[in-house]
Order: sequence, then structure tokens, then C-alpha cells
Amino acid sequence: MSDHYRAIDWNRQKRCYDAALAGLVVMGAATFLGVTAWVSPESTAETLILRTTSVLAFFLLHILLAIGPLARLDPQFLPLLYNRRHLGVTIFLLALVHGLLATIQFHALGDENPLVSLLTAYSRDYRVWSDGRWQLAHFPFEPFGVLALGVLLILAALSHDFWLKRLGAGLWKAFHLLIYPAYVLLVAHVAFGILQTERSPVYPILLGIGFLVITALHLLAAAREKVRSTTAAAASSEGFVPVGAVPSLEEGHARVLKVGRQRVALVRHQDRLFATGNVCRHQGGPLGEGRVVNGCLTCPWHGWNYQPEDGCSPPPFDEVIPTYRLRMIDGELWIHPVPLPTRTASTGVALPENGSNPQPKGAS
Amino acid sequence: MSNEFYIGYEDTPPRSLSRLLGRVALGLAVILLVIVGAVAASQSPAEPGNYDFGVEKSFEGILVEGALPLLQVGTAPGAITNYLLVGSGKFGLPIFARGHGGEHVQFRGSLIQKGDAVMIEMNDPTSFAAVKTPSNEIASDHSIGPVSLTGELVDTKCYFGVMRPGAGKVHRGCAARCLHGGVPPGLLLRDSAGNALVVMLTGTGTSKLDLDPEWAARFIRVEGQLLMRGNVPVMEVRRLELAD
Ligand code: FES
Repeated sequence: MSDHYRAIDWNRQKRCYDAALAGLVVMGAATFLGVTAWVSPESTAETLILRTTSVLAFFLLHILLAIGPLARLDPQFLPLLYNRRHLGVTIFLLALVHGLLATIQFHALGDENPLVSLLTAYSRDYRVWSDGRWQLAHFPFEPFGVLALGVLLILAALSHDFWLKRLGAGLWKAFHLLIYPAYVLLVAHVAFGILQTERSPVYPILLGIGFLVITALHLLAAAREKVRSTTAAAASSEGFVPVGAVPSLEEGHARVLKVGRQRVALVRHQDRLFATGNVCRHQGGPLGEGRVVNGCLTCPWHGWNYQPEDGCSPPPFDEVIPTYRLRMIDGELWIHPVPLPTRTASTGVALPENGSNPQPKGAS
Repeated sequence: MSNEFYIGYEDTPPRSLSRLLGRVALGLAVILLVIVGAVAASQSPAEPGNYDFGVEKSFEGILVEGALPLLQVGTAPGAITNYLLVGSGKFGLPIFARGHGGEHVQFRGSLIQKGDAVMIEMNDPTSFAAVKTPSNEIASDHSIGPVSLTGELVDTKCYFGVMRPGAGKVHRGCAARCLHGGVPPGLLLRDSAGNALVVMLTGTGTSKLDLDPEWAARFIRVEGQLLMRGNVPVMEVRRLELAD
């Protein structure tokens, strides 16, 4: 995992995902074209392509943005997250066709460079305050689309594991958060563009619903993330801090614990509890939402493995995550917030036989 | 939470997850159908129009230059049809046709048509020839009187059929580009029943209208003299201002 990016083979699941995605795109395009042929038979082919690609890209962007919080709220949705980058690249390609065709159709073959014309054709209306009043409705919508397409291009280009490895998970993830500004830009592109042309209330209503659903899902997922917090004041003299009663965990399951400002994965493996870092070395997946598979804590996002005892990936990989010391004192679980030296094996803390709620014990 | 755990790089997901994924795909398909269908059905219909893209026909008549370039074609004794003239792309009367006002010319071009409005895209310079010179323009103006009208400023090449729809904010950049390139401006008027009419805007006499191309797709109020130039409604503009 560490020396090279690890290419994940094309397997049946990926093929199914891509087939479903292609099916959705084809079905969506057929629906749009079919209905438009009926309500607006005089539309030109260029108009049909421009509108079909934009509607599909914007719809799929909502799905893409919903997958993250949905997977946090219910792990059953994790498979959607696994191949999410294919969805992202599809959105980019649709947006690219839309952007290129719009630039050619509306700005080529004139007396100005099309790319310049795209941003300056009615540049005076960048001034939103003129003649003593707000002139917001006339503001050009094209720059929002250009900027959003630029962001999608960067994200699509960086989506390969090669760049993940080069940039490191943190920076790579940070880059991908740009999808949120891109979404806001596209909302503005729609609001200042087609919403100023088409008068049906269906458009602002759908735009509003989309925005509310995406926002609500993110807020819900954030609320669910509020995991048990500890009070530093209760720290023992040895530096251990209590994390409350031992949580009931099924064998092989894990959960996220919040210790001060950091997150720790608590894992039950062979009737012992282990604590490791929560952040997967791949793309920062939440290991506390993973499971033990074949003796390794397995990341819920793409399945990278770590031994709960020492945090090391099994050979030949050499990724490693931190491990922490645990203690059981009077039925309460305590953790030392400073990680053990890298690759130090810990014995964890024993659970009583057949029980997920251990009896009080003295030490780790 | 289900007890099954998904690992993406394995060949098949756990069975219950497979079922769920099937349901998710189906649900998405239904949502997609409903939303995309609703978006498509809510479009306002593009108005009929025609552009013989890639199809060239021969035209012959008297070239009228000036504020509104036209080709006057005698269709029957005493009757003429005025074809508006534009160049290819986003340009007005092409350079090769300029300076031939009042001459009898022939050339090949592509027809653009919306209702009674007819326009020729002069896209074949090699076919252009002044065959008899000079001819007399046929006076065809029929004055209606002074009026004040409010409507959307459009570039008539796109609106008459090259782009459908060829008006509104989404098309604004294109309309501004076309007006900049010399495509004749028009005022798009609609009645309450949605019927549309375009009045060509010119300056007075032979002077071109001094108009800001960035006003394209915006509503403007125009005052001037309304007249019929044969089959073409024209307004000789004395005053115009933004009205939105
Ligand atoms: S984030 Fe990809 S495997 Fe953990």
C-alpha cells in the first residue's frame, strides 16, 4: 500500500456499479429527449444536447453529494461510496460536453475570441448596482459555470490513486472538498441562467428541494457523528482518561470514540478490546466504522487492512496507524491519549468470556 | 444496522447488500425519471423556425444596402419579397456584398425563415456576382405612423431560426455577439396569447441604428416611425431605452 498506489482490479462489483451508472445516464437522456420532443419539437439538436447534459450532470451531482452523508447515516449505503469517483468523472464529462458546446454554439464564429466572449459578452452587467438600484437578474451566469467546470476538471484529474499517493490522503481529501464550492457555483449558474429564461415554477422548486435535501443530509450526518466525549479534567495521574462504561460491542465490530479532540477506533477482536487511530491511511476513511475481517480491522471505504494489535497493515504492505493503551477500572474503560510508539504491539484489554459487558478489571 | 460488512474489492457484496443495492438502483431510476421528466415537461416550447443549415440555394434580385440590407426579389408582376441579408457565423452583410447597393445580384446562400420573415445567410462568396448594373430599388415602404413599443431586443438571425430557442437570458451572450457583428437587431413583441412578432430596428434614413449590443435579450422601450418595407415590419428608431 505504501510504495505504490494500489490499483484495484476491475471486479464484478465495479462493473455492476458502472453498468448501473451508464443505465441511469442513458435512461435519463432518453427521458429528457423523449419528453422534449413532445413539448418542444422545434428545439434544435444543440439545445437538446446542452439541456440533456446539464440536467443529467446536475442530477448526478446531487446523488454524489448525498452518498457521503448517507453512508455515514447507514453503512448499508457504503457500496455506493466505493466507486464514487466513477460517478464524479461521469459528471465532469457531461459538464464538459455542455460547456464546450455552449461556448462553440453561443460564442464561436463571431468577432471576438469565444473564450473571451464567454466571459465578457455583456460585461457591464457584472455591476450589480447601477442606476440607483440592484440589477441582479441580469448578472452573467456563464462565469459560474466556467469556474465549476474548472473545479470538476481538477477533481477528475486528481481522482486517480496516483495523485492520492502523491498528495497524501489529507491534501487529496481537502482538494475533493472543492466539490462543495462547485455545487454552490452550479446553483448560481442555474439561478442566473435558465431560471431567468424559463418561467415555470418547477425549476426553482426543484432547485430548492435539491439544496434542502443535500443540506439536511449533511447536518444529520454531522449530528450522528457527535460521539461520546471525555472530560480531560478526570484524567488520572498516569495520563489515562476515562471514556465511560465499556460499550457493548459484538465480536469483530468497532466503533468511534472521541478522546479530547482526536478520534479513536475501539475494536473488539478475540474477546479483547483494542484502540487504534480512526483515520485510514488510504483516504482517511473512519476505521471505527469498519469490521475485523481475517484478523484485520478493515476500512469501510475501500477495505484497507490493519492489525488491531500493532496497527500495521499485513505484509507485504507497510502502512501503519497509531495504537493506544486501554485500561479497565471499576467497569469503566480508560484510554491513554498519547499513542504507543509506532508498530508497538498492545495486548488490548480483556473482555470476560462470552460477554460484551466485562466485569471490572485492574489493568491492560 | 445489518450484520454484513461490505468490502469493495471483493467480487460480490453480501447477499442482503446486493438486494439493497438493487433497490437503491431502482429507486434512483424512478427519482431520475420523475425529475428529468418534470424538468423536460416544464420547458417553454421553442417557437417554430427554419434554418437550411448546409443547404444552399440560388437567389437573385436587387441588393439594398443601408440601414437594413435586403434582397428585393420580384415574385410576381408588381409584387416583391424582401429577404433580409446576413453573413455566415455571427455577422451581418458580408464584405463581399458591400458596395453593390442598387445592383442586380445573384448568389447562393442558406434560407432562414420564421413565418413571413425570410432571411438569407450569404455564406458562399465565390457564387456572388452583380449581373446587371445598375437597377432601381423598388420603393416598397408603407408608413404606419409614430409608435412607442416595448419588447425584447433580439438578434434576428438566431431568432428567425438558427437557434431555437434564440431569445432569453441563456442566449444573451450569443445575441450580444451577433449584434456586435452586425446582425440586424429586432424588437420581439408578444401579445397576451403568446403570439410573437419581430419589428426590425433601424436608424432613420440610411443610417444604422446606434445601439448597445449588451442590451441584447433585455427589454427595451423604443420610439419611432413604424412602417412596412414590403413584407418586413421596420421601425425607424428615434429614441430607445432599457425598460426592465
Ligand atoms: S479510506 Fe480507502 S480504504 Fe480506507
